[in-house]
Amino acid sequence: MAKKILLIEDEEIMVNLLQKKLTHEGYEVLIARDGKEGLESIKKEKPDLILLDIIMPKMSGFEVMEEMQKDEEIKDTPLIVISNSGQPVELDKAQKLGAKDWLVKTEFDPKEVIEKVIKQIGR
Amino acid sequence: MPSGKEELITLKEDLKKTKEDLFGLEGYIEEFSLFLPLAVCTVNPLHIITNINKAFEELTGFSINESIGEALEEIFKKDSKVKNIIKEIGKKKKTLETELTLITKKKKEIPVKVSFSARKDNEGNFIGYFTAIDEIVELKKFQKGMEEKVKELEDSRKALFNILEDIEEARGVAEDEKNKTLAIITNFTDGLLFFDTNNRLSLVNSQAKKFLKVNKEKILKKPILELEKFGNFKSLIKILTEEDKDIFRIEFSPRKGLALELSRVSISGEEEKIGELVILHDISRDKLIERMKTEFVSLAAHQLRTPLSAIKWTLKMLLDGDLGKVTKEQKEFIEKTYNSNERMIDLINSLLNVTRIEEGRYLYKPTLTSLENIVQFVINSCENQLERKNIKLNYKKPDKKLPQVKVDIEKIRLAIQNLFDNAIRYTPKGGQVTVSLKHDKKEIEFSIADTGVGVPEDQQSRVFSKFFRGANVIRLDTEGSGLGLFITKNIIEAHGGRIWFDSKEGKGTTFYIAFPIKKEFEEFLKKF
Repeated sequence: MAKKILLIEDEEIMVNLLQKKLTHEGYEVLIARDGKEGLESIKKEKPDLILLDIIMPKMSGFEVMEEMQKDEEIKDTPLIVISNSGQPVELDKAQKLGAKDWLVKTEFDPKEVIEKVIKQIGR
Repeated sequence: MPSGKEELITLKEDLKKTKEDLFGLEGYIEEFSLFLPLAVCTVNPLHIITNINKAFEELTGFSINESIGEALEEIFKKDSKVKNIIKEIGKKKKTLETELTLITKKKKEIPVKVSFSARKDNEGNFIGYFTAIDEIVELKKFQKGMEEKVKELEDSRKALFNILEDIEEARGVAEDEKNKTLAIITNFTDGLLFFDTNNRLSLVNSQAKKFLKVNKEKILKKPILELEKFGNFKSLIKILTEEDKDIFRIEFSPRKGLALELSRVSISGEEEKIGELVILHDISRDKLIERMKTEFVSLAAHQLRTPLSAIKWTLKMLLDGDLGKVTKEQKEFIEKTYNSNERMIDLINSLLNVTRIEEGRYLYKPTLTSLENIVQFVINSCENQLERKNIKLNYKKPDKKLPQVKVDIEKIRLAIQNLFDNAIRYTPKGGQVTVSLKHDKKEIEFSIADTGVGVPEDQQSRVFSKFFRGANVIRLDTEGSGLGLFITKNIIEAHGGRIWFDSKEGKGTTFYIAFPIKKEFEEFLKKF
């Protein structure tokens, strides 16, 4: 059975690209367009991995992580942040909130995202 | 008893003798008066000249014949004084004296003193005057000289008065000027403080009082060190006492919301120093604008990143064939577009770095590491570039192991990467880049020398300025943001290090970086 990846991202084109790439690699991809929808989906779908953007409408990526920490059931779900920014302060904060990795969109490409995903949950 | 005849004879003889005596006396008097240098004449009660002497003739030019029988006043200038003296003569006074103007036969006017002495006959009847006329030209000359002198003195007294008046006027003007200057100083928009040579505060204008929140009366005449306890003086005094030379535009903030720029200049009088002027310029508004500018750039750069990463990912997936097959030609174009996009991302990242430097939140995590590792990492990442331009890299490794340094590895890597990028970018094909790492007790020195185009001498002072690009490299290579060296310098200095360079246009450039060794660096870090 294909592993389930939840992509929480508001940028349409990023969603399209990553969805295509991940599906191509054999993963099942679930999509959420904002933080709030994302959190609900995590609780409901229990994905194997979460790819999380930070700046989003309704609820930011950090808020999603904070909420996850409160829920024993989902708090240990592997999570990779995909953000436009990458300040050390943010990285630190994300790490404390349980993020496994952090990707700055301008510095990485979809191929490298796949590499990081495989590293976390395998194929 | 002698007879009458004998008596007569005796009398005749006596008479003859007396006549002879008298004659002799007259001759004597005549001779005397002849040689007497004083002009003398006799006048009768009707002031008719009855006799004159030789000196009279010489003085007046009138001969004895021309003189005798003439009225005395005829030889003088007819003025009121002559009329007076003639009147006086009539009063038969014993002596008279006056100054008159003699008119000689040749019509020359000579100032004279005329003295009269009354003559009496045997019976004591008044018979006229002896009149002496004394030339007083010399005296007059002297008098005139005196008068001139007096006039001169008076003139100089007047001149002196004039000078005094001028001085008074000048003093008035100076006073006005002083008042004007004081008014300007008082109402100046910059804060001004003046310290005399004893370092006492001798002038403070109202703007400075406002900036520092102090009462003028309390602080005037106070020595600089005593001022610390007043108002917001503390930070100001710290700067003033730490630096003993002139100060040019040091920023400081006496309190929240107020940013000032402090300058200090020595003020000299004609010859020696009379004190120091401290100028406080309000830059709060400039700071605000600067911050807004930085925030704007930061925001804009962040906003730009989102579409740039979308473009990057799309192109990358196209190139990787994830979105279907592309022809060779299409691939070439996509590659070029991808590279342009990467350049844009680099530029945005540089801009963001600059805004972070300006916001003072750049340095983050100092970690203990070896610079050798960082340099090696950068060299490895440059291999492709070096190869493409056929540039030979010479790496002079340290002869002994370098001491570790505590640095923000990412930032130092970026700083050194920037220097490598420049060296390679501005060195023509087939050139050479020489890198060296060495250390002494205090510092580790990194240097990178190229055989590139160099920095024009007149632009060398601006090398580390934001957006600076040498005139010669703009022509050579249109890429490059002019931010690299600005960022590098800030990174190095934030680590307590130094950066400098040597360059000769057309020959090449060498950049040097010196890092303090751990112990010194820890000292440096304690300040934060």
